[in-house]
Amino acid sequence: MHPFFRRRWPLALYLGAWILIGLMFTALVWLAGSVPFERALLVMEPVVLVYGLVCLSAYWVCRKHPAGTTPAPRLANAVIVAALQASAMWVALSAPWSALVTRLGVIRADRDVLLIGFAALFVAGVPLYLISVAVHYLLLTFEASREAERRALESQVAAREAEVRALRAQLNPHFLFNSLNSINALVGAHPEAARRMCESLGDFLRQTLALGARESVSLGEELALVDRYLAIERVRFGERLRVECRLEPAVERCLVPPLLLQPLVENAIKHGIAERIEGGTVRIAAARHDGVLTIEVENDADPDARSRRGAGVGLANVRRRLDALEGRDTRLDVRRIADQFRVTLTLPARVAEGGAGGGR
Amino acid sequence: MAGAERELAIAIVDDEAPARALLREYLSREPGTRVVAESANGYEAVKAIAETRPDLVLLDIQMPKLDGFEVLDLIEPAPRSDSGPGPPGGDADAWRPVVVFCTAYDEYALKAFEVHAVDYLLKPFGRERLTAALARVRARLTEAERGGAPTAPAPATLAAAARPPGQWLERLLVKDGARVHVIPVDAIDYLEAQDDYVAIHSEGRSWLKTQPLSELTQGFDPNRFVRIHRSYVLNIARLARIELYARDSRVAILADGRQLPVSRSGHARLKELM
Repeated sequence: MHPFFRRRWPLALYLGAWILIGLMFTALVWLAGSVPFERALLVMEPVVLVYGLVCLSAYWVCRKHPAGTTPAPRLANAVIVAALQASAMWVALSAPWSALVTRLGVIRADRDVLLIGFAALFVAGVPLYLISVAVHYLLLTFEASREAERRALESQVAAREAEVRALRAQLNPHFLFNSLNSINALVGAHPEAARRMCESLGDFLRQTLALGARESVSLGEELALVDRYLAIERVRFGERLRVECRLEPAVERCLVPPLLLQPLVENAIKHGIAERIEGGTVRIAAARHDGVLTIEVENDADPDARSRRGAGVGLANVRRRLDALEGRDTRLDVRRIADQFRVTLTLPARVAEGGAGGGR
Repeated sequence: MAGAERELAIAIVDDEAPARALLREYLSREPGTRVVAESANGYEAVKAIAETRPDLVLLDIQMPKLDGFEVLDLIEPAPRSDSGPGPPGGDADAWRPVVVFCTAYDEYALKAFEVHAVDYLLKPFGRERLTAALARVRARLTEAERGGAPTAPAPATLAAAARPPGQWLERLLVKDGARVHVIPVDAIDYLEAQDDYVAIHSEGRSWLKTQPLSELTQGFDPNRFVRIHRSYVLNIARLARIELYARDSRVAILADGRQLPVSRSGHARLKELM
């Protein structure tokens, strides 16, 4: 639908403009000679308003030939053809009307005068149509910029939402309650260990909140968070959980979006190690090559494990956050080879400026 | 009554050592309880429960290999053994332990427990909670011995209720003596009701499971498994074509040439899906 019909005031403004143009035509007819003003008004206003409606068709002409991308000759051609057609249509629509008003005796005009009148309409119709085209181009530009604004806002909201979701996923209730249960168990026989675990849990939660509030953090900080997390999970899983970490020198200073690594490690434990009676190893590796940072989290997996409830939610979360945060030059690859499950995160390697090692 | 409390034989099933230690500690202070088995995974649990026949199983949900619901599914009722405190009179009901689930957080499972009045303990829990749960277990056992009908839901029903919406059963477990066979649901050709059993036909073999057909297929994806006949549920991926056999009676021909009867309502259901 034409945008003028979507709201009231643009249409009112547009019709108002055409009423004014109608007044000008009335004045011309009146000045030309023998017709009293009221009669000229009665005849000319409908004629001009009808053309106002015809000129709304410029909207579709403009939409079909966007100003920025259409080559100028093609654009000019399309617009002029449309203007001639509209003008011809105006004359065609005016003819029965003039016949009617002449028959009713509102005006008196002979054939020649009418023909001159139609010719004048045809000549005036073309520039009027061109003006309408210009107005519509302005309108479209305005609409496009508003649309772009809206989209920018939407993507901002999406990024925010992804962040909130990530934080919520981080504070995974299953993990929290199980950890509290472990503390509960330790209090009786190993109060020292219970105290340590309270500390680890507190540290982990505090760190999560602190890192989550920042735009980017160093990989070292992410790894420290993972360490805290692993300290807690080791109490729960005991000997069943083994961890290997292989880091190339200086990767720890690379900047990464916060809270991406820990969910991957949590996934590896939840869907890998926890599914195996004998437990297994989580391998974390990070390397930097030609400006690209590669982070790998690999775990032993049960070859015939069922996909457990909630499986894939963690990965989907990380993926969504990557999409919202970075764009095209980041990748998340998931591979399953026999009883190994590997997630590879590829990011552009950026290093904190000033060598402070921290984020902003 | 307090003095006449019967001793409860209890099995603890949890994959996390601290969680098991906690239960053991609590139970050591509960008079009239005895821990007869402790398992760290589902397979061990199934074996230990069958061997020790406890009155009560404290069962974790998320465990390696078999989850709590699958363990429950694999506990086979058995005639009460001579050793146990058998019921008085000829009311020789089958042995079936009372189950109390222990879980940290599982939105859907908790809903299922509420709906089916299954007892559960939310981690972390204090000793009073366990004491209260034990009292309820005793009441339930006493009632069962007096001949009151046990109100526990069928394991498959409970497991189906505990599954998040839109998630379907992925595998069936069949106990064959001491062994547990895992049959991926995708590998099933069709299921056939036979008296009290269901024959599961998969990859050229068939397995028997004691369960009504409708109960067994509760968790199946209705877009992939269709009840084509009172006694048959078909994996529609295996269907080659349907042939008119006689007026108003049809047969489904599977990809491997086997033929299954299709009832009129079964045909309607099939047509709706195709």
